[in-house]
Amino acid sequence: MTLICVGLSHKHAPIAVREQLAVPAEQLGHRLQELRALAGVKEAMLVSTCNRLEIFAVADGRQPSEEILASLGAVAAPHAVCRFDVDALRHLFRVAASLDSMVVGEAQILGQVKEAAAQAQQAGAMGPELSRALARATAAARRVRTETEIARGAVSVSSVAVQLAHKLLGNLAKKSVLLLGAGEMAQLAARELRSAGARELLVANRSSQRAEELAREVGGVPVSLEELPALLERADVAICSTGASRFVVTREAMSRALRARRYRPIFLVDLTLPRNVEPSANQLENVYVYDLDDLERAAAQNRDLRSGQVGKAEEIVEQELQVFLAQVRERAAVPVLARLRAHAEAVARAEAEKTLTQLRGLDEKQQKSVRAMATAIVNKLLHAPTRKLREEAGEGALGDAAAALFELDSPGPQPVPIPLPDPQPDPAPNPEPDPAQAPETDGAAQSSERAVLPLLRRR
Amino acid sequence: MATILVHIALLAYAAGAAAFLTWLVRPRPALVQGGRVLLLSGVVVHFAAFAVSLGVAGAGLGVSEWKGGQLFSLLAAVTVAGYLALDFKYELPVAGAFVAPLTVAVMVPAHLVHSTAREIAPEVSHSLVLFLHVGAATLGTGALALAFGLSVLYLASEKQVKDKRPGRLLARLPSLDLIDKAGYRLAVWGFVFLSLAIATGSLVSRESTGATFPIAPKEGFAVLAWALFAGMIQARLVAGWRGRRVAMLVVAGFVLLIGTYVGLLSAAPALHGSVAAAVLP
Repeated sequence: MTLICVGLSHKHAPIAVREQLAVPAEQLGHRLQELRALAGVKEAMLVSTCNRLEIFAVADGRQPSEEILASLGAVAAPHAVCRFDVDALRHLFRVAASLDSMVVGEAQILGQVKEAAAQAQQAGAMGPELSRALARATAAARRVRTETEIARGAVSVSSVAVQLAHKLLGNLAKKSVLLLGAGEMAQLAARELRSAGARELLVANRSSQRAEELAREVGGVPVSLEELPALLERADVAICSTGASRFVVTREAMSRALRARRYRPIFLVDLTLPRNVEPSANQLENVYVYDLDDLERAAAQNRDLRSGQVGKAEEIVEQELQVFLAQVRERAAVPVLARLRAHAEAVARAEAEKTLTQLRGLDEKQQKSVRAMATAIVNKLLHAPTRKLREEAGEGALGDAAAALFELDSPGPQPVPIPLPDPQPDPAPNPEPDPAQAPETDGAAQSSERAVLPLLRRR
Repeated sequence: MATILVHIALLAYAAGAAAFLTWLVRPRPALVQGGRVLLLSGVVVHFAAFAVSLGVAGAGLGVSEWKGGQLFSLLAAVTVAGYLALDFKYELPVAGAFVAPLTVAVMVPAHLVHSTAREIAPEVSHSLVLFLHVGAATLGTGALALAFGLSVLYLASEKQVKDKRPGRLLARLPSLDLIDKAGYRLAVWGFVFLSLAIATGSLVSRESTGATFPIAPKEGFAVLAWALFAGMIQARLVAGWRGRRVAMLVVAGFVLLIGTYVGLLSAAPALHGSVAAAVLP
């Protein structure tokens, strides 16, 4: 078995290419079934976001990667990257942990990877190998988020504003947001605040017509700019982005509003130049004024903090990857170990019975002791080889050597020493998928459901 | 037995403090969980020590002497229990990083340093009012200590926002709004218990000395603290004061309250602490 990753991301392909390749959600199921139907492909998952399109597949070798690449179309070929086995696995772990993201540490990617797994599960393309790898990648991503500060702090001006609003005011569900002016960044921040749960979004503009249009666009309520004093008493967050060449919100106006609002805190976000909010208003109690420079400085600080945590996050990812690989190797060792033990136990049993027939007159207890002694000898002899095989399985020739030394008959296909071996080899190997086997394949997908579900439940 | 239990509780508090302080540097959820479990274990063992002492001392009344350390031990236990309740409601591990080391700082001298035994006036050694007075004072001080802790956190983190340098402290804290509300609620509860403590204290004083409002530093500080908290609550309710101003008043009020305890220990009156002496090891 080989884990293949074919795809491209913001690192390799410009947005013009990525937008051509993006897979709409409604087509994902169909695309997954197409991938699953490719010769040699056993399991598949497709991660499609605005920054990447990546296909992870478990196949009978590296050959299917060419067909997977071809399925992306000619436009992808110059930009796509193919990774195999440990490289592919490491890439999956890094993607899930947001180490490969455009904004390192962003939270969405883990959800998107989980969503891709859910889609693959729904389309019957998910199997035990991918499922296990995903579960570990998700665990690694969670460790990265909790043990490092890679996800701490917002890194864009609008998200810094929203995060600060949360820090100042807590739950925004009962809060009122005032949008003054029509600047793009202000609209973005207002939308983010609205989606963060703000109770109302009041939109004020010099032109009432523009206010109405804008209110429709952002899902707010148009209000007149002439009501500004009353609006300052009502709003909890005010985002200012008017084209005015003087201060729209003065310290004096804010001071008056403050008393009327019974010192309820207000967050004034000034996203324009020249500034709309008199900076000295920040000196008033419970009034917090942040302009573009302040927000950008906080965002840059957070970006620095995140990049300082990348090394630590990479270490965690590598640790988790090595643990996963060790588990895979251990699973790979199980068939050889099982055959070795069965062989040794059969020999011990046969010799014990032979001895017992020669030693006539032994009572039940004595016979039991002879059998127990034979089993004990086998256990003692096999203890060290078992440990060694478990430790080194999948990496070298020890498994094969053990099979050759003890002349162990192969009951089926030998597990291939690759990072994602099948823990329970198929009793009847069928390297080339046969369309006639389709119901069986579905059955295999269903049988893998148990392995996939724990991952999905954690979403 | 009770002494051993208190030492175990102290060890648990110290380990909990270490977990919370480490969490400030390495924000792993397991550290917070560990810290909570340790503090909870500590407080359970600590109260078990009180129960054992209470068993020894009968009904907890009728004790003839008390030590300052015993009173502070009780205050520490009540504060930790209050913090755990607060944390359960608002998720405030940062406050744990404040409360746990403070508890250790109070407990170490309270239990490991020898303090002089003080006599309790025979007129009040069996008094139920004295029992109520000590209970109310302990609960009030615990609540106000927590309000003080939250106020300090509020002031520090609010300064970060005002200075436009949001840092680690702010990242570890819930919203300023929540800290403000939680601190105010605690201050109100502290004020209620403080009022009860002053009223019952006056009755105890009359029973033992005949003076309802004796002029002494202890009483003076208590009344000043009470007046400050009353003024703060009035300003909040009537004028809507909140945030920095309220936090500073709570800090000032708690400092005055500490003055009450300094007055209590330095004047060494033979009153307060009889209940503590009865129930504490």
